[in-house]
Amino acid sequence: MRKTRILLADDHKLIRGGLRLLVEQQTDLTVVGEANDGRETVSLAKSLKPDVVVMDIGMPNLNGIEAALQITEAHPEISIVMLSMHSDESYVLRALKAGAKGYLLKDSAESDLIKAVHAVADGKSFFSPAVSKVLLDDYVRKLKRSGAEDAYDLLTPREREILQLVAEGKSNKDVANLLNLSVYTVETHRSNIMEKLHLRGIPELILFAVRRGIIS
Amino acid sequence: MPAFSKNAAPALRRTSREDEPEAQRHSQHLRQLLLISFSWLLALLIGAGVDALLAVRRLDRASQEVSRRFTVRNHALGTIVISVRYYDDQLERFLLQDQLQESGPDPAEVTNKIAAVRAALLDYPPDGDPDEQLLLAAMQQQLQEQETSCAIVLAWRSDLRQKRAYQFIGQQLIPWRTRIFELSAQISSQEERRLAVENLTVATRFQSLESRLVWLVSLSLVAGVLMSLVCGWYILRLERQARLRYEALARSRLELEGLSARLVEAQEEERRNISRELHDEVGQSLGALLVEVGQLGKLVPPEDRATQAQIVQIKSVAESAVKSIRDIALLLRPPMLDDLGLVPALEWQAREISRRSDMEVEVHSENVSETLSDETKVTVYRLVQEALNNAATHASAKNARVTIAQNSDKITVKISDDGQGFDPGRQRGMGILGMEERVRRLGGTLTIASAPGKGATVEAELPLHKADSP
Repeated sequence: MRKTRILLADDHKLIRGGLRLLVEQQTDLTVVGEANDGRETVSLAKSLKPDVVVMDIGMPNLNGIEAALQITEAHPEISIVMLSMHSDESYVLRALKAGAKGYLLKDSAESDLIKAVHAVADGKSFFSPAVSKVLLDDYVRKLKRSGAEDAYDLLTPREREILQLVAEGKSNKDVANLLNLSVYTVETHRSNIMEKLHLRGIPELILFAVRRGIIS
Repeated sequence: MPAFSKNAAPALRRTSREDEPEAQRHSQHLRQLLLISFSWLLALLIGAGVDALLAVRRLDRASQEVSRRFTVRNHALGTIVISVRYYDDQLERFLLQDQLQESGPDPAEVTNKIAAVRAALLDYPPDGDPDEQLLLAAMQQQLQEQETSCAIVLAWRSDLRQKRAYQFIGQQLIPWRTRIFELSAQISSQEERRLAVENLTVATRFQSLESRLVWLVSLSLVAGVLMSLVCGWYILRLERQARLRYEALARSRLELEGLSARLVEAQEEERRNISRELHDEVGQSLGALLVEVGQLGKLVPPEDRATQAQIVQIKSVAESAVKSIRDIALLLRPPMLDDLGLVPALEWQAREISRRSDMEVEVHSENVSETLSDETKVTVYRLVQEALNNAATHASAKNARVTIAQNSDKITVKISDDGQGFDPGRQRGMGILGMEERVRRLGGTLTIASAPGKGATVEAELPLHKADSP
């Protein structure tokens, strides 16, 4: 069986060392390179073509967000797990917009890194549980204070189903096949969901799904 | 920190502290001197004026007295001469009444006329000088003689009159009359001489008054010019002092501004450094430690409960250390500004405050470019941070709203809350001063609108520089 090839990017050698240690305990994973900053990450990603890039969000010389944008633009097949200290939605949303599939808090890297790498290598998303919790807390607090109703309650069961599938990274066609619907119907559902939840774009949709624990 | 900021301020204080009492005493003396001089000048002017006025009045009175005296004597003398002429005339007519064959006057009438002459002589002011008195006495004596001979003549009967009239007229009356007229002419000329002398006296006095006036006016003029010079010098000195003081003030204000600008810069730089150090060194080491401890936990067999518990304990201590260091680093210099840009960082901050306090913060942004200069980003960020912190901690606001909008040449940030509010004219804490300083450094304006019970709105307008252009 082919090992999943991983590129580690962090400007701290200690962290990289710790991550490498974690990865190399797994038989199906291998570290193919280490990058010290954003620029090196982009160039190594282009030359090594890893399956997964595990990358710190705040690096010198091109931060993780910019690096992720450049990598996914040139090689959309490469999955990116973003490592971050921050569970705030600004970061999560930016990471998602930059094309990251996984978002991992550094505190929980030790327990979640392997899960995250496996998930994104399979084309799924992965978010640290703590992130989902913070996002949900923020959302609930805001609803409570503003007295607004939870837009999620407005969704029909079918819409919820479609929301989950889209958030998991499925295309309209995949969803149509899975649910035995026409692509056109799926598209209509999708735009209804976006409108009800006041969302702009897939990254916000994924963020919403993470917040509600629909995906992890 | 440049050297001048250390040296300039104490030097400034020393000059102002030690020289001031002396300078004050000096200028107080000068003021007193000026006041006294002005009083003297004024007294001199008033004295000269009053003196001149009195002298003129005295002179006028003297001159009037002289002319009155002359007129009175002249008049009296005229009366004497006329009465003498009447009397002569009457006496002649009395003596010649037979020759002229017309009735002459009564002897009583003639006596009346001579009485009139006597009265006129008595009327003449008796206060003349000795020469005049002598002349008058001579006149009186003549009159006396005349009266005596007249009494005899008046007793003459017609025949005697016819015989002796011409003789009497020729030998007695004409010489007497001539004598009287001579005397009167002498008195008159004496009076005229006297008038001339008195007029001369008046003229002399007038001249002396004139010269005194000239002297006084010159004195006042000189004093006035001197005073003006002193005053002019004093005013120039005051002006110079005021200018020097103003310059010193402007200089120290400039220094202060430079100092506080550098202070803000230094603070920001220091925060950034500490934040980076904390995050990079301590935070990362702790992160690595966590990974290592996790590894260790896997190496220890699960049966070894005590060691496992110890490892869990170590992990939780390390985790809480990581968390506090992260919180401190975030407060000092949020990496969001560098990682995500201004608006996401503001949104993060808004949520952070919403999480920590009872205040819900909304952020609205319009056209905010991602390429703002670091200074602008930091300034906006700190403004919002300060204003929101004030709203949450001091004003107990429930809602706050941050609006940030950018157009071609400026960026406008507005933070409003529904808290207790305050009086911006009176309450100005360090926070507001800090905000003002930051905004002023970038050449922007800061407006704080608030009133007790009315919430608060902080609005800043920052001009955009080349580095900020989208």
